[in-house]
Amino acid sequence: MKANGAEIVIKTLISHGVTDIFGYPGGCVLNIYDEIYKAGESLNHILTCHEQGASHVADGYARATGKTGVVIATSGPGATNLVTGIASAYLDSTPLVAITGNVDSKLIGKDSFQEVDIAGITMPVTKHNYIVKDVNELEETLCEAFRIARSGRKGPVLIDIPKDVQAASCEFHGGLPLPLYDNPVPDDTEIEKITELVKSSERPFIYVGGGVVSAEAEEILAEFAELIDAPAGFSMMGLSAMDYKNPRKLGMTGMHGVYAASVVQSEADLIIGVGVRFSDRATGNIGKYTENAKVIHIDIDRAEIGKNVAPDLSAVGEIKETLTRIVAKLKAENFKQTLTSWNERVTELVTKQQKLFDGSNRNPGDFTPRKIIKAVREYTEDNTPVATDVGQHQMWTAMNYDFGAPRTFITSGGLGTMGFGLGAAMGAAVGTGKRAVLITGDGGFHMNMNELATAVTYKIPVVIVIINNGVLGLVRQWQRQFYGERFSNTTLHRKTDYVKLADAFGAVGFLVKNEAELRNALDKAFEVNDGPVVIDCHIDMDEKVLPMIPPGGSIHDLIIK
Amino acid sequence: MKNNENFTMSVVLKNKFGTLMRVTSLFSKRGYNINTLHVAPLVENNEYSRIILTSNGDQNIKEQILRQLEKLVDVREAKII
Ligand SMILES: Cc1ncc(C[n+]2csc(CCOP(=O)(O)OP(=O)(O)O)c2C)c(N)n1
Ligand SMILES: [Mg+2]
Repeated sequence: MKANGAEIVIKTLISHGVTDIFGYPGGCVLNIYDEIYKAGESLNHILTCHEQGASHVADGYARATGKTGVVIATSGPGATNLVTGIASAYLDSTPLVAITGNVDSKLIGKDSFQEVDIAGITMPVTKHNYIVKDVNELEETLCEAFRIARSGRKGPVLIDIPKDVQAASCEFHGGLPLPLYDNPVPDDTEIEKITELVKSSERPFIYVGGGVVSAEAEEILAEFAELIDAPAGFSMMGLSAMDYKNPRKLGMTGMHGVYAASVVQSEADLIIGVGVRFSDRATGNIGKYTENAKVIHIDIDRAEIGKNVAPDLSAVGEIKETLTRIVAKLKAENFKQTLTSWNERVTELVTKQQKLFDGSNRNPGDFTPRKIIKAVREYTEDNTPVATDVGQHQMWTAMNYDFGAPRTFITSGGLGTMGFGLGAAMGAAVGTGKRAVLITGDGGFHMNMNELATAVTYKIPVVIVIINNGVLGLVRQWQRQFYGERFSNTTLHRKTDYVKLADAFGAVGFLVKNEAELRNALDKAFEVNDGPVVIDCHIDMDEKVLPMIPPGGSIHDLIIK
Repeated sequence: MKNNENFTMSVVLKNKFGTLMRVTSLFSKRGYNINTLHVAPLVENNEYSRIILTSNGDQNIKEQILRQLEKLVDVREAKII
């Protein structure tokens, strides 16, 4: 069958099972948008307010569903507006295909109107990217892009298509998906060494990362933890990989990790990192981090082994398969461990944490972030996607929200992108067909709140909870802690009326100043099924995220007050 | 840097537009040095090129460079020579 480039793009997307795409039109993608028009019902396109928004919507969609997100933008500013979104997806290993138009291939290199070298710009933040200069290569390139985005450690791929290539025709073969590339497979001796080390450990600790969520390995992870009788701590990306009802789940570790998880980790004699990259935010001082413990590192990306932490043993492979083999090996040996004194110590620390951080030292009337998050949780279901922006509200969510199902925590971990949340929550809602919740800050919400208009237009149900402290709270907290309380440019002094703002966008808004008002607003918000609701929660500007391990520090430097 | 040594690397990669930049950009992104660099098409197959480059660092950096290079889609082989 003959087809032109734009038809090839859209038909290949459809052949890949893509049902929803996000983007913004312009001169250099007119041909593609014409094909979107012709595709009619078979492809749902959501027009955002800004290409950055579209990139976060596609990313949130991918995180919540496990599918590949697709975003389209025009050349020049359209393409550059995608960069933050692509980089956010790259740092958190989200499968994303970004399609940009470019000027005619004969105009490339001449600083033509709206020409940028988007392939050059995105090279360090994509798994791979392409400029397609010949329509005969377009179909294969698109299929290869999907294959690369999904194979091994997932990530974004960008395809830049000059306008004349979209218009040119060639033979089209249906654009069918290619099989994914094979993953590395650890050999039996590696698995055996790992099981031996695990068996010899008296104080094992499993450290779970986003790789477990991505591999959908939560069940085998829980089985593994059970078998070896180990507690589990989590990177922010890994938090939804275990149900909060599982008593082994201690919560997040690292700079803003919860107390018990951080202390337990520091007392372990073996850290089993699964689908993690031992980032600086998670480990603090690397030397101290591994001072008392051996390390096993299991990951799909060979380059992660030894990058930040030199492990004693490692296995490079698909995580679900690798864990399944380890569990099978242990079971074949009838291994079942009970580590009484270690788990008693864990329980002791969890109890201590509850005493220190359950808020009982606060006045009963204080409207604390913890209360807000606990109240929201009473309204959500286990599988409700919860997105955040970046800042204190993100850490409060990570520490206090009880995640009950995988893929429910949608947050920018690696890049820490303020402005990520609203788009990502919308993408999660579109992808899952469920109401999503966004917990955001007054700073981050102001970055991309224009997308409220998109949520209204497309009737996307998102409950937006703004934890409004009037400040760039997390930065201010650092200024207090490390810069002698010189609060340079972190007090917002804004007069934004979020109730009027919501109204102006065609949404509903509430202002709440205490828990009773919040519950009232939540009652109403969770009744709305056809659009966003904004709840502006006024809290004190001096609420802190605690505990905290300062950058480069260790458990000995833990700040509790 | 402890155990800093000079080493020479051979990288075989697709002879395509932009691939040299992918390699050099990876070095700058990760903070590795390139001391010298030479690139030429393979005599036996001009669809591929070989880069011979010299760099320096400890054993860990050497390993990391190889692992990161192997992740580039257009790289067929990367090794220390
Ligand atoms: C795009 C972007 N710019 C700057 C930062 C640095 N930063 C991290 S947290 C933060 C404060 C966020 O303030 P707000 O959204 O009000 O959240 P809060 O910490 O008050 O909960 C800033 C400025 C960032 N992460 N992302
Ligand atoms: Mg704030």
